[in-house]
Amino acid sequence: MSLPEFKLLLRPRTVEEAVGLLAKHANNIRVLAGGTDLIPSMRQKLFEPQYVLDIRHISELKGVHPRPGTGVEIGALTTHTTLERSDLLRQRYPVLTEAAGTVASPLLRNMGTIGGNICLDTRCLWYNQSLTWRKACGFCIKKDGDLCHVAPGGTKCWAAFSGDTPPALLCLNAEIEIASPSGMRRVPLREFYTGIGDSYRKLQADELLTRVFLPDTSAYYHGIYRKLRIRGSIDYPLAGVAVVLKRSNGHVADARLAITAVNPAPILIVGATQMLAGKVIDESLADAVGDLAAKTAKPLTTSALTPEYRREMIRVFTKRAVLAVANNESLVRH
Amino acid sequence: MKKELIELRVNGRSHELAIEPNKLLLDMLRQDLQLTGSKRGCDDSSCGACTVLVDGITMLSCTLLAASCEGQEITTVEGVSERGGLAAIQKAYGDWGGAQCGYCTPGFIMTVKHLLAENSDPTEDEIRAALSGNLCRCTGYSQMYQAIKAAIDAEQRGMAAVK
Amino acid sequence: MTEFSIIGKPIAMVDAAGKTTGAGKYTDDLCLPGMLVGKILHSAYPHARIKRIDTSRAEKLDGVVAVVTGKDAPTPYGILPVGHDEHALALDKVRYVGDNLACVAAVSEDIAEKALELIDVEYELLPAYFDPEGSMKAETDLIHDNKPHNIEKDYHHVFGDPDKALAEADYVAEGRFIANEVTHAAMEPHSALASFELDPHTGKLGRLTVWSSTQVPYYLQHKLSLVLEMPMAQIRVIKPLVGGGFGGKSEVIPLEIIAAIAARAARAPVKITYNREEVFWAHRGRPRTIIDLQTGVKKDGVINAVKARVVQDGGAYCSYGVVTILYSGALLGALYDISDIAYDGYRVLTNKPACGAMRGHGTVNVRFAFESQLDEIAAKLNLDPAEIRRRNLLKPPCITINGLRVQSYGLPECIDQVVERSKWKERKGKLPRGRGLGIGCSHYVSGAANSIIRSDMPHSTVNIKIDRDGGVIVYTGAAEIGQGSDTMTAQIAAETLGCSLARLKVVAADTDLTPIDIGSYSSRVTFMAGNATLRAAEEVKKQIASAAARKMKCPPDELVFRDDEVYRRDLGGEGARATHSEASASGRVEGQILRGSLQQKRKDEGPKDWMTFEEAVVAAIDFHGALTGTGSYAPPPEARGGKHKGAGVGPSPAYSYAAQVAEVSVDEETGEVTVHKVWAAHDCGRALNPVSVDGQIIGSVWMGLGQALEEEMVWKDGMLMNPGLLEYRSPSAIESPEVEPIIVESIDPEGPFGAKECSEGSLAATIPAIANAIHDAVGIRLRECPFTPERVLTALRAQNKAKPINLTEGVDPTAPTRFREHGGALWFRGKGPERHPLDPARQKATAEIGGDD
Repeated sequence: MSLPEFKLLLRPRTVEEAVGLLAKHANNIRVLAGGTDLIPSMRQKLFEPQYVLDIRHISELKGVHPRPGTGVEIGALTTHTTLERSDLLRQRYPVLTEAAGTVASPLLRNMGTIGGNICLDTRCLWYNQSLTWRKACGFCIKKDGDLCHVAPGGTKCWAAFSGDTPPALLCLNAEIEIASPSGMRRVPLREFYTGIGDSYRKLQADELLTRVFLPDTSAYYHGIYRKLRIRGSIDYPLAGVAVVLKRSNGHVADARLAITAVNPAPILIVGATQMLAGKVIDESLADAVGDLAAKTAKPLTTSALTPEYRREMIRVFTKRAVLAVANNESLVRH
Repeated sequence: MKKELIELRVNGRSHELAIEPNKLLLDMLRQDLQLTGSKRGCDDSSCGACTVLVDGITMLSCTLLAASCEGQEITTVEGVSERGGLAAIQKAYGDWGGAQCGYCTPGFIMTVKHLLAENSDPTEDEIRAALSGNLCRCTGYSQMYQAIKAAIDAEQRGMAAVK
Repeated sequence: MTEFSIIGKPIAMVDAAGKTTGAGKYTDDLCLPGMLVGKILHSAYPHARIKRIDTSRAEKLDGVVAVVTGKDAPTPYGILPVGHDEHALALDKVRYVGDNLACVAAVSEDIAEKALELIDVEYELLPAYFDPEGSMKAETDLIHDNKPHNIEKDYHHVFGDPDKALAEADYVAEGRFIANEVTHAAMEPHSALASFELDPHTGKLGRLTVWSSTQVPYYLQHKLSLVLEMPMAQIRVIKPLVGGGFGGKSEVIPLEIIAAIAARAARAPVKITYNREEVFWAHRGRPRTIIDLQTGVKKDGVINAVKARVVQDGGAYCSYGVVTILYSGALLGALYDISDIAYDGYRVLTNKPACGAMRGHGTVNVRFAFESQLDEIAAKLNLDPAEIRRRNLLKPPCITINGLRVQSYGLPECIDQVVERSKWKERKGKLPRGRGLGIGCSHYVSGAANSIIRSDMPHSTVNIKIDRDGGVIVYTGAAEIGQGSDTMTAQIAAETLGCSLARLKVVAADTDLTPIDIGSYSSRVTFMAGNATLRAAEEVKKQIASAAARKMKCPPDELVFRDDEVYRRDLGGEGARATHSEASASGRVEGQILRGSLQQKRKDEGPKDWMTFEEAVVAAIDFHGALTGTGSYAPPPEARGGKHKGAGVGPSPAYSYAAQVAEVSVDEETGEVTVHKVWAAHDCGRALNPVSVDGQIIGSVWMGLGQALEEEMVWKDGMLMNPGLLEYRSPSAIESPEVEPIIVESIDPEGPFGAKECSEGSLAATIPAIANAIHDAVGIRLRECPFTPERVLTALRAQNKAKPINLTEGVDPTAPTRFREHGGALWFRGKGPERHPLDPARQKATAEIGGDD
């Protein structure tokens, strides 16, 4: 399968240049960072832009930098491998280290970037298929059609957001920086997603995600990310749970929980924070939090394994993650 | 589609090439430079048969645009052989059954080369983790671990001999 | 001195360096001047009549050289003589989504893909069949008109009196087992390059050469001859390196014929390489199989009867299907001693890609059922599962009730070995809850005793030529596909000739150069091509011996050929060996033979009591004029099986045996199964190259593990939901367990140096060993594979009577049974793909694509 033709590969060296090019070709351009999402999708003719903006070489967007007094800044082009190996992150934001370390495979982590993971296109087995396949099956809402194979009769797209790092980032109250011709803006990550499969993120065509900020106030929380997959590597998550927690005198001082791969957006479960605050974690509390998470999850047949099973795993993983994080264990499987 | 003139460094040599902007690095290597050691096994960036080093880091050449790699140093399996002979890891893969059909082997060789460059004495778990982005359908991976250990031994013996 | 110099030694494969350096060429690596790229248009419908194909717009596109359709090659073909039901490009009907319609040959891939979009196809849609049991009820709109009820073939075999025996049994176990569809997923996608020469006199197209990723070059040559209506002599098939087969390349795959007809139309070389999705459509994998199994036993665990009803969802074409369904029945025998067997096998057509031969062809799914049921019986009778297997052993040499001749039988030792190494006695049933051990056994043929094409032709023929400098060239048609065929050939020739491996060159699988070998399938190469090599080498050796004996003034049969020397047996102890070590120490460097001083010095000496291999070769060439030999192998009549209908499938000159113990743990909250270790003993007769045999055992076990835990082709109304390596999950290094291969050598009386099969037999034992281990760990009996976490968890919840996860409720609660039947997967529910109202395909569709239920 070859890539669709496009007119030009644009290779800016600065954010300013990149934003200028984006604005110029806003209607017909795709941003290429690590390429691990865009390139396979282009092979499947899910995207056929006239211009491709290759931002791989914008060096100002790479790396993990401490910003004294405020937190840590991560360039959007920082690879998962870099995140996984950053001592700074491991010490201060271990949940992100864990999540980054489970993304796909080592090879894909060498290529894939945190910006790409945040912007990751939502996925569905009826969508992530070749043009030939989609033609034979019938096009769906997300691409070229107006019906849904997953929820027949529905008009909403249920393609699942399947990034591993965003639930961790949500737990850390991360903010993102978005550059556009009119300047930079900073938004909390939890406001970035729409919860709708086909228009899943709030990013205008002339905007570029440039940086991620982790606030000092979220540092040094215990954290865990647990991912459901069938194969021990390569797979996207079929369900994912991130939990962070801070204790004081054996009680939960603060905790946050987020889930991924079971809804069209990664979701921070606000109720969990209230449920856990001030409590001593035991089995039944963990169970209750698990139930809450499972209620929030709305998986459909967008990936392998049944929705029911995936929802159940959200419950089990949440419970386990809450218990483990309370005991300060690592739960990374594989 | 208009071709673009780019300069690429592959296995220590510079090449000036006129290529379409949508050309993948893998296709450029295989078609324009006839470096057919890197293989295509999938279309969804999952199998690792096309693994090359870009500035010393393993990447999937099927998932990179060739033009995007301008200015970077690319190493393919053809650039691994040493002094006209087999590198230790290549010999060990042959001796220990690390390669059966051999189609995934160039990808694995690049992955192992990268692993050993970063960690000269990996544990078996570290080896497993490092290899987990490359799929092999013949070996069940086991004999590769033996090969890698043998290559490490050979390298260490080689180093000792040099000293 | 050990018995052999080269046999039994762990050596690197003779083609290893080409693979580890990237220098070795696979078909897609090849390029010819003026070569075009071929791209295939595939059917968008599972079952439809083709009313019209219009290629004129595509032909006009700049860069397109030729467009071919079914009319360009109307002769049907198929791998089996009884199954000539395929057209490389559909002629009148398409029978699955992905069926081949037309091919564009163009100057680039981009242009070819664009041209495909310009081909207009008008279909008349037909009701499609996706579920085998529904398909069997069909009366009209059959997939093939000559196959009533869409049954490709059914067999009903009765051996002994199973009904009576079951009535006399003390206990009868009964159950339905389902094994879902899996595919080979060889890392190399199929590729074929076809090129015609111009006839020097007429300028018309002359000879055809096809390079292809095939396991069966001669079958390919034969079918090309049939479809292109050319004599075989005008067709040359060359097999470059092949990146894995596992059965997926063991028959003629459409692209091979399409490339040839496109090259004919374009008058230029055409290469077609499948993308991964097309590989899934080409398929020929292991069919989804429904097994209803009854086993009757006496109190002591002795099996007295087996009844099996097997339904295979074969897809749209016959492929190897008739053989598969026969193997499923025939290989109920020859593992254990079973006196009464009833077998009803149905190979059913459905509108999905054709299933065919896959590693462990025909036996794997039935063995999963059988070995699982045997475990249930052992539990019921309170017998150790290893012990119940021991109580049912064959007593070879023997001929089983269904006519299979067993001569060498290492199963008892395989069981002993895995029981001992896994500390079975100490640990079985005593591990903490959640962790368990399970055992399973299996066997496989060492090649089919009867070829697909019934004839008395030898199955393998090998030529050997030796040059004056002692270089040995072996010409064999056997196809190296990564299993080590070339290395085995070189080893056997070198051992027989008593020369070093460095002298050997293997020329393989080129129909112009190499004599006929029917291919690399059913694990036949070591046994058959190996025997042919042995015989060819012996023939040449005889010639060398007669010439050498004249020089050494002794009878030829007193000569020993070994380690690049020829010496008299009576002198074998002292002088020769001493000289030999000197010669070999000085005579070569890094495998390179350096001729020179030693030989020169010896030239003028008088009568010899030993000679170097080269001296002997020179003597023989001087005497005979040339030094060549031929050997061939045909299975002996005694091994060719019984007389009943279908008796031709199952018989083999020898059977391999395997026993395995798997250790697993099960997470009871998630249903996730981890396989920690598999002890795998395999009786391969003799391990010609232990590294290779270990590799084959581990690889088989590993592929069985994939089928047991992760791999499954998931269908939704004829759409394959996971046509890629991302969603069809071949295990990664992370979860692949440690496998301890244990070689058992029973030394088969007819195998080359006693060798038998080693590449397939182990696979079938792995799935039941894991199923049985899961049972040991948590007490659930899984009767459907793969054992995905949700299937495991569902069974656990049912066992605990805990709140079930309702895997049958969903978007469309009316669907569950229907949906299960449609492919067995639990993933998909709801209505089938509904076409977009604006989709031109839907507008054209006059009739709804009907289901069968």
